[in-house]
Amino acid sequence: MKPAILEMYDKRPRTLVRNTILFVLMAVILVWSWETMDYGGINENGAVVARNILDALIRPNEAWLFNFTATGTSIPLLMLETVAIGFLGTILGAILALPFAFLSARNIVGPVMSNVGNTIISIIRTFPIFILGLMFIRVTGPGPLAGVLTIGIASIGMISKLYVEIIEDIDKGILLALDATGATRFQKIRYGIIPQLTANFISTAIYRFEINVRNATILGLVGAGGIGFTLIAALGAYRWKDAAAALWGIIVVVLVIEIISTKIRSKLVSGE
Amino acid sequence: MNEKQKKRSTGDSESERLKRPRPVKAFLDRLAARNLAHRTTTLSNGATIVRPFSWSLTNSLIILVIFLFFWDMIVGAYFDKYDFMIFVRRIPNFLNILQKMWTEFDWSYFDFVVDPMVDTIQMALLGTAIGAVFSLPVAFLASANIVKSKIVSGVVKTILSFVRTFPTLVYAAILAFIFGYGTLIGVLATAIFTFGILTKMLFEVIETLDLSSFVAIEATGASKGKAFITSVIPQIMGSFLSFTLYSIEINIRSSAILGYVGAGGVGIMLDENMNWRRYGNIGVILVVLFVSVLIIENISRYLRKKLS
Amino acid sequence: MIQFSHVSKIYPNGTVALKDVTLEIQQGEFVAIIGLSGAGKSTLIKLINKMTDVTEGSLIVNKSDVRRLQGAELRRFRRRIGIVFQSFNLINRTSVINNVLAARVADMNFFSTLLGLYSRDDKLLALESLDNVGILEKAYSRADQLSGGQQQRVALARTLAQKPSIILADEPVASLDPITANQIMKDFKRINVDHNITVIANMHHVDMALKYANRVIGINKGEIVFDGPSSQVNEDLLKKIYGREITDEDIMFKKTLGE
Repeated sequence: MKPAILEMYDKRPRTLVRNTILFVLMAVILVWSWETMDYGGINENGAVVARNILDALIRPNEAWLFNFTATGTSIPLLMLETVAIGFLGTILGAILALPFAFLSARNIVGPVMSNVGNTIISIIRTFPIFILGLMFIRVTGPGPLAGVLTIGIASIGMISKLYVEIIEDIDKGILLALDATGATRFQKIRYGIIPQLTANFISTAIYRFEINVRNATILGLVGAGGIGFTLIAALGAYRWKDAAAALWGIIVVVLVIEIISTKIRSKLVSGE
Repeated sequence: MNEKQKKRSTGDSESERLKRPRPVKAFLDRLAARNLAHRTTTLSNGATIVRPFSWSLTNSLIILVIFLFFWDMIVGAYFDKYDFMIFVRRIPNFLNILQKMWTEFDWSYFDFVVDPMVDTIQMALLGTAIGAVFSLPVAFLASANIVKSKIVSGVVKTILSFVRTFPTLVYAAILAFIFGYGTLIGVLATAIFTFGILTKMLFEVIETLDLSSFVAIEATGASKGKAFITSVIPQIMGSFLSFTLYSIEINIRSSAILGYVGAGGVGIMLDENMNWRRYGNIGVILVVLFVSVLIIENISRYLRKKLS
Repeated sequence: MIQFSHVSKIYPNGTVALKDVTLEIQQGEFVAIIGLSGAGKSTLIKLINKMTDVTEGSLIVNKSDVRRLQGAELRRFRRRIGIVFQSFNLINRTSVINNVLAARVADMNFFSTLLGLYSRDDKLLALESLDNVGILEKAYSRADQLSGGQQQRVALARTLAQKPSIILADEPVASLDPITANQIMKDFKRINVDHNITVIANMHHVDMALKYANRVIGINKGEIVFDGPSSQVNEDLLKKIYGREITDEDIMFKKTLGE
């Protein structure tokens, strides 16, 4: 055998030891996590309930599902409210995120300020959605308006994070080119920066809208509007058919929104 | 003539249709003509340039109409019922809570938070791991280039869309009635949610894979299974691990509220302390949550960076 | 030894790819198959390791009746036959040596394959194969970061790691530039001579085929119209094989044919 080959053999990356350590580490973490599992709540009733829920999903309460007028029991109206909360909340969040994003973008404010901004964004993200919901209910009272404000504040974190990435990706060459034409500061922002940002910003907001509609379905749990209250109340009273109607409402609306949102976003990105 | 036109012409003949006065169409035609004229520029050398029709104005109008409709439905309806000044006067309530989280902050509560926070992290980790284990094989079933049958991958994809419609909390709320209260349902709910999003991210990667190496390895005399393990798995392992770490980040946050439906963890304490208006305790929990998320996100980000 | 006798291949859609092919290839020959695209060159190659099935006739490769081979037996048969593709077919995002080692999994147990545990002998064999095609120093680079020519060398090393008696090559240099193509063909030639490995290559470019192969098989519309030493090939024969004049497109280096 040629010495060069043996030499190359000795230079091989030793991944086995590293991989084994990583694997053992992962196993230890999982075994440690398993310790949290508590099966105390399981009883023979569970199977019956599971069957009842599946039965109900096949035959949900149609009176609720196809009722377009009654307050509180009309699934279409409740889902409309849920979507409205998600929609208004997204617009609120997308607007509120703008200052946070511009004040945290490294290429605009520099590294120190950017770190401060990112920390503030992280702090806002720490507030769980229900805590925000309950805090806003102290202002508006229970109802969908509290939901809108909650969704708005809760989406600031993620939206501004994505905004920051978009801003930091800006192509600076265009600004230089505009400089060469003698453009003013305002003109540079208007023609050099804004066009680069809008499509991606809108795409981000639409993406978050999908998530927000899903989140709006659970806000009812703390009284902040949407279909959540009806769903939890029906589950709590073992009214499976009513709960199933609410679940179907969520499925249909979320699926439709996902399809539309994917279409719009792919058009936005492809620049049509 | 395509199917659609055929169908249309069976009801009433073409000539009959043309005779009817069509004010709406005439109006739209006029509008289109004016728009076209508006978009046309004639250059000095006589050449004309037609700017393509821009949908952005139309789209903005649609968004505006939806916005006004929803605004009226929620904000308008609210201020029909309540005076605006009442709303303004109650804004300090929100700030008060924030302030109390700070002024009534009491570190001695920390001892009560540690155990539930550890539970929350464990639920998230275990749930993510279980979801991830199931997502890998199902992602292959959902990939049209792997299973070859469009029906199979289509059905799997549709089921996955259904799975993804519910947030973790809705799964936990339902599972609580089947498995009783406790961390078990938190783990299961997290696993189902993770499975849904992870599988989608994975099959999107798998469908863009170059499978030519699979053919080459099979041609060396390896069985299909071995060829798959050597040629396809290494190509997606990086994405798989990176997506899984990303899911952990999402799941830590979402499992913090699972306690509201009885799934254990720090959520129960959030619920109790909000009810008792012990905002100082909430402050302690939020700080612990903030630090935990920060640590886990940074570990995860470090590992993801190393992977790519 | 490879023996085709009266072999025909008809695809399920009715296309006749090969008609009544009879030929014999001895161990250690360097055979180039030329003809228009769609003439059946690719099919002829793919029949040999049963990537596609013979419809009629008999095909004996290394004393095995290819039509009868199935399952484990087919896989064992394929271990001694290497194949190189036009598009290299390497595993992306994976190191060069792992690509070469992939040729060894056929002989390994399932567990070792799953964990990617290759033996010292296999690793040395893989490095030796890489050295054989002159890219030993790239062993631990990522395969998709190499140039086209280097990638094709990795593919060639992968077949060498199979310790094959036959190497099939389906348009091995068609997507490479002329200089690189020439070097790759030299590698094929050296391997053919040094290790007495039969090389059967589909060639799009006539000049490359004539330069490196000892024997040329011309196919036109699924039928063999010429089979003989490359020295006998002349313009008239080429016209018969291609059914038209030879154009610049069929030649990689224009001057070679004029010599």
